[in-house]
Amino acid sequence: MTTNNPLMPLMATIVETVRETANIKTFRVRLDDEAAMRDFTFLPGQVGQLSLFGVGESTFVINSSPTRMDYLQFSILKTGEVTAALHRLKTGDRIGVRAPLGNWFPVELLKGKDILFVGGGIGMAPLRTLLIYMLDNRNDFGKITLLYGGRSPGDMAFQEDLKEWAARQDMDMVLTIDNPADGWAHEVGLIPNVLKEMKPTPENCIAVTCGPPIMIKFTVMALQELGFPDESIITTLERRMKCGVGLCGRCNIGGKYVCVDGPVFSWAELKDLPQEL
Amino acid sequence: MKQSIREALPGLDLVLGWEQGWDALHATPLFIRKAEDVDRLILGPTCVQSLAVQLPSLKGKKVGIVVKGCDSRAVVQLLRERLLDRAEIILFGFGCDGVVSLKRLTKVLGDLDSVTSVKKTDDRLVVESPDGRREAAFDDVCAPKCLDCAWPNAVESDHFAGPRLEPRPPAESKTALERFEEKSLDERFAFWKREMERCIRCYACRNACPMCVCRDKCLAVSRNSKFVSQEANPSESFMFQLIHVMHLAGRCVSCGECERACPMDIPLGLLRAQSTAVTEELFHEQAGTDPEAPLPLLTFKTDEETIEERD
Amino acid sequence: MDTIFIQRTDIGRWLDRLAEERTVFAPTRRDGAVVYRPYRTGFVLELDAMPTTSPKEIVFPQNETLLTYSRAGNASGGAPKVEARETLPEQKAVIFGARPCGVNGLGVFDQVFDNDKTRDAYYTARRKDTRIITFACDRPRSTCFCTNVGGGPGDAAGSDVMLYPLGDGFVAEAVTTGGKAMLSLATGAPAGDREVAAKALVETAREAMPEPLELARIRENFDKCFNDMEFWEEQSGKCLSCGACAYLCPSCHCFNITDEGTESEGKRLRSWDNCMSYTFTAEASGHNPRAAKAMRLRNRVGHKFVYFPETHEGEVACRGCGRCIVSCPSSVDIRQIAKAIQEYCDDDK
Repeated sequence: MTTNNPLMPLMATIVETVRETANIKTFRVRLDDEAAMRDFTFLPGQVGQLSLFGVGESTFVINSSPTRMDYLQFSILKTGEVTAALHRLKTGDRIGVRAPLGNWFPVELLKGKDILFVGGGIGMAPLRTLLIYMLDNRNDFGKITLLYGGRSPGDMAFQEDLKEWAARQDMDMVLTIDNPADGWAHEVGLIPNVLKEMKPTPENCIAVTCGPPIMIKFTVMALQELGFPDESIITTLERRMKCGVGLCGRCNIGGKYVCVDGPVFSWAELKDLPQEL
Repeated sequence: MKQSIREALPGLDLVLGWEQGWDALHATPLFIRKAEDVDRLILGPTCVQSLAVQLPSLKGKKVGIVVKGCDSRAVVQLLRERLLDRAEIILFGFGCDGVVSLKRLTKVLGDLDSVTSVKKTDDRLVVESPDGRREAAFDDVCAPKCLDCAWPNAVESDHFAGPRLEPRPPAESKTALERFEEKSLDERFAFWKREMERCIRCYACRNACPMCVCRDKCLAVSRNSKFVSQEANPSESFMFQLIHVMHLAGRCVSCGECERACPMDIPLGLLRAQSTAVTEELFHEQAGTDPEAPLPLLTFKTDEETIEERD
Repeated sequence: MDTIFIQRTDIGRWLDRLAEERTVFAPTRRDGAVVYRPYRTGFVLELDAMPTTSPKEIVFPQNETLLTYSRAGNASGGAPKVEARETLPEQKAVIFGARPCGVNGLGVFDQVFDNDKTRDAYYTARRKDTRIITFACDRPRSTCFCTNVGGGPGDAAGSDVMLYPLGDGFVAEAVTTGGKAMLSLATGAPAGDREVAAKALVETAREAMPEPLELARIRENFDKCFNDMEFWEEQSGKCLSCGACAYLCPSCHCFNITDEGTESEGKRLRSWDNCMSYTFTAEASGHNPRAAKAMRLRNRVGHKFVYFPETHEGEVACRGCGRCIVSCPSSVDIRQIAKAIQEYCDDDK
């Protein structure tokens, strides 16, 4: 934090918005204090609290990459009161930002490894950060594969990125939707099933997955079936949060707070926590 | 009572009763599941909790419940509102000759600790503790609702233990509500401001209320349409109380659980008494006394005989 | 000598002098409840009964404003001007009449709100100049179990002045230099033999306290019973899921943050919240990881006896004050739940 009051947001301005899907909207923001923006550092996986004063605060992953610091990007799925109000904001609107919060993907540990990304729906947001970070440091990592699924073609967010990623020679991408749809030229089927058909090899490979809880559950089962050890499966968790700094008490899983000890956990770590997801 | 519970228990998932808590002055709800649990059951002046509050969350199970007169009114009112299924509930009623108010008791006898025995003999309450034996006139230490209790016996029951008791005659002296209403509006407002100032917003009043059935969906915590803010001040706390009272209009069975549950000893019963007095006067009926009676506030009549229409 | 004897009748005069410099929060009766209120001359002190509320409210109030905000429309049609202003509190206070358990509760707050990873600006602003005058307990209640969880009726840790009750007054002992300064404002006589007598009363009280819980055993068994929902449903059956236990607890520190006001102006509030409330963990999607009361009670007990100790060298977050027992509308007894975990046997499951 750049302020010594961890509950006090910095003011920021929305510089651009992108309509991703019917219920996902991306906001690109810059801190108003130029020095704070210049000095802002974070690592892929870290989150931020966005404040819409008079409505409240909510937590979102910073889904831009620290390698591209023109703005901080947040992609927001409309689900509750705060997210619905955030969706009404436009370029030029000012919001509060508390960031970076939480832990990050173990990028040092991932170096030299093959990386398999498995993202479902809005769960693609944290993966996007890490993926772009890796593409911008391409030589540090082995083979990069992305499996991304949505309910229907209209639920596939990050279309700009998908175009770019499809064209790249240095990564593989598989897209899937739950049910057949007109004009869909990619896979059809639930993510864990498509994953099993892809038969990724677990040797020297780390799987990074994020999505709705039920998808994570079955994806992890599929990965285990494919021979991925629990240490090689990384996921990010979501919990209702308020303070974001380990004080307010609601995002705990046993003695761990998702807001400071997470959101990134390996499956090996999660297995040892009380089963209260 | 124990005998009839023992006999009925095999056909039930559980029976709700009371057992002694950490000392003889504090009873605590007992969930009887096995025959040996029945031995822990107690009945007496410390059995204050209305166990009816548990029933809506036990729907789908076959539940027995031990009820005082006031508790049975809560069950009857819940049945009347179709919030419970009569076939799922077995009522073990008895005649209650009053329960203790810890607040009034400590006012008379001072702070009591490690109480070893509480006995009611005729019109006295005798309390024993390592500090010695102390006693008080029961009417000085009972829950206010018991002073003029019109429903000492379970209104409805499948099993009834012990003798049926005579209702207490209406109090000759003025009720707390009548005395309160003699005060000016300014005085009454000042009173509530002072009382509400210590509310900690724990919602024990709401959660102990057997008629409060919105539970997890209470509008007090809803953020979408903010009826009450989180700001702790007398007006916000009072606002919540008024909403609670409005939700209880014509439904409050005067069990006094709101006031008893309040850890800060705020006299919440007074607010409910006022609303209950109004609805009883308007509709000539008492909540929770007849499971088949139509619900006055859910019944449309073109002419309300008790409400004077404007010309 | 730092130890004097203060007559009960002289306490008011002492507080008058302390109140010239600081806000003195002292216990007083409000109907049956005993609460801390700012002391003024003529105030009726409650010098015997343990306060219903815990002293945490003086450094962690039920409500506090984190910031104020405003949003002004832009006449030229551009984006509105939005501002947020930090509202840090200033406080110079004395907590008078805390008990050792309540002061120990602040020890939990200090560890959570003021450590190398996180420093809560609001809490530390209130806490840094708050002094504490504590009553040692010569007559613990039957619901007290401080000695079970690492405290004691004469525990002076965290206090600036200790008052040991004896007859018509208190033996007063300064614990810190700040305490010494405060005590110098009191009217008293040298304590003499009375010091030994008063401390002996507290020692006798300590010896009479109940047998300790086996805390290590509770931690070990918690894992075993964690997924036994039948066990937790039995423990939580009579709980009404209200917040009385948490709000009166000297160490419970969970809070909510809400914006109160309109879109054009208002404030952001921090207010007490509690883990027994359904909405505490209910997510916007409808998912709730602790949807059932049994899960919430498991978390509350787990936090006190297992989770907090895990990250704080075995220190239990429960301070044994018994407020949750005394004030629970259903007379839920946390000692019994702890005992049930301690005695939990999963051999036949």
